[in-house]
Amino acid sequence: MRWEDVGLRYHRRGPWVLRQVDLRLGAGEAAVVLGRNGVGKSTLLQLAAGVLRPSRGRVVDRPRHVGWVPERFPADQPFTVGRYLAGMARVAGLGGAEAGDAVRRWTERLGLGPFHGVRLPELSKGTAQKVGLAQAMLRRPGLLILDEPWEGLDAAARDLVPALIDEVLAAGGSVLVSDHRGETARLPGAARWTVADGTVTAQAPTDASPGALVVVEVAVPAARAAGAVARLRADGHHVLRVRADPAPPDAPVPAGGPPDPAPDPGAGGQVPR
Amino acid sequence: MTALVRLRLAGFLRTGRAVAPLLAGLLALGVLYGGGRAQPAEAYGVSAVVLFPVLAWQTKLLLDVEPDVQRRLALVLAGAARERAAGLLAALVAGLGTVAVALVFPWLVGGVTGQAEPGGPSVAAGVALGVWAHLLALPAAVALGALASRAVTGSAGYGVAVLALGAVGSLVLGLSASVAPWLAPPVLPVARATAAGPSPASVVLLTAWAVAWSATALAGYAWRRRARA
Repeated sequence: MRWEDVGLRYHRRGPWVLRQVDLRLGAGEAAVVLGRNGVGKSTLLQLAAGVLRPSRGRVVDRPRHVGWVPERFPADQPFTVGRYLAGMARVAGLGGAEAGDAVRRWTERLGLGPFHGVRLPELSKGTAQKVGLAQAMLRRPGLLILDEPWEGLDAAARDLVPALIDEVLAAGGSVLVSDHRGETARLPGAARWTVADGTVTAQAPTDASPGALVVVEVAVPAARAAGAVARLRADGHHVLRVRADPAPPDAPVPAGGPPDPAPDPGAGGQVPR
Repeated sequence: MTALVRLRLAGFLRTGRAVAPLLAGLLALGVLYGGGRAQPAEAYGVSAVVLFPVLAWQTKLLLDVEPDVQRRLALVLAGAARERAAGLLAALVAGLGTVAVALVFPWLVGGVTGQAEPGGPSVAAGVALGVWAHLLALPAAVALGALASRAVTGSAGYGVAVLALGAVGSLVLGLSASVAPWLAPPVLPVARATAAGPSPASVVLLTAWAVAWSATALAGYAWRRRARA
């Protein structure tokens, strides 16, 4: 999809929130939208989703099925999780049986099973955010738009977001993510779109070539290391090395050295286990 | 689209916001029919006038139940045109329910007589005229309620002002001495026609007037929603 000279202001005589935005997001591509609070990141995402109409210019070639995860899920609704997701699956155009399957698959995947019969206003913020993720994924989106998706999610669910993004990209979809906390360091293949002063500056992915490699560090129980290595190799990954120290080798060292000079026999150095 | 209509109707009924306009409607009908038995055609004509603001208010409430972000989520999943149409259709279905209550109500409380007066229309013809009057008022009321909804006005206070001005304006402009009756939907003219026994030509004319007014107001709604999701 393409943005062609897109400008947006919320009122006819209001200030331009975005001006002369010319961007392109191809199939299978992801972009991270960066910028300070209130600079227009959500506005850019809502233009992409078709929620906002450009005051000037146009957004063309938007994929047919769009999944939008808003920054805050609107939990003030008189439905249970199951009823809401089933309704949204039908609204997205899925048939009765398909809708049931999709709801089952995504409630399970996102760990929403125990909340199936819970009413939306009673959910915690993180769980409501998962319902927001689920409704966007019920019908596989050609364009997935995530507005600060990591907000309020627990550690296990945070890892799910890159997995969902990978799935959409692998199926030929596009992904647009906003982030102000640096979580998108987990998406090294994505372009960087920086919003500032009403304009958007696009920066190609740090490793633009599709064959570029990144290093993923994984900690596994020592007893199961051999099995994990074998599985990773079977999946076609290249295992670089196995080491005993679970701390990352480039972990930041506090400036000025450790505050307590007393030697600690338990920390530092290679401890054989 | 039926899925979104059902979701919105369910939201309207489950939040309990459907109760207030229904009670207001019943109260108004109770006052209307409290005076004794009347001929169906005449009574139903007034009933449609009384229900017009209630139906508009009910429409505004139904469209405003959904949080703004949820309305946008529905728009992303269903498309803009279908999202708008689903809201109006849900309001129309809810309005039909209220109209059905209004048509049955006088028979339950003895507000209308089952005996036609000599020289007047038969009871069946009177009921048919009553159904016609209500069905003309409903789309116009839905259009007014939609124009007063938060999605259009942006703020609650402004929406109430649109609703109140629209309802009062429709009645004032509909008085027989009005200088610009065509600015309002033909709610009062229909009531006058049902009471007097309308000619076929006036039925056609009033129907065309109501359809044209509702279509214009709904086009205005669609146009305002283009800019504001």
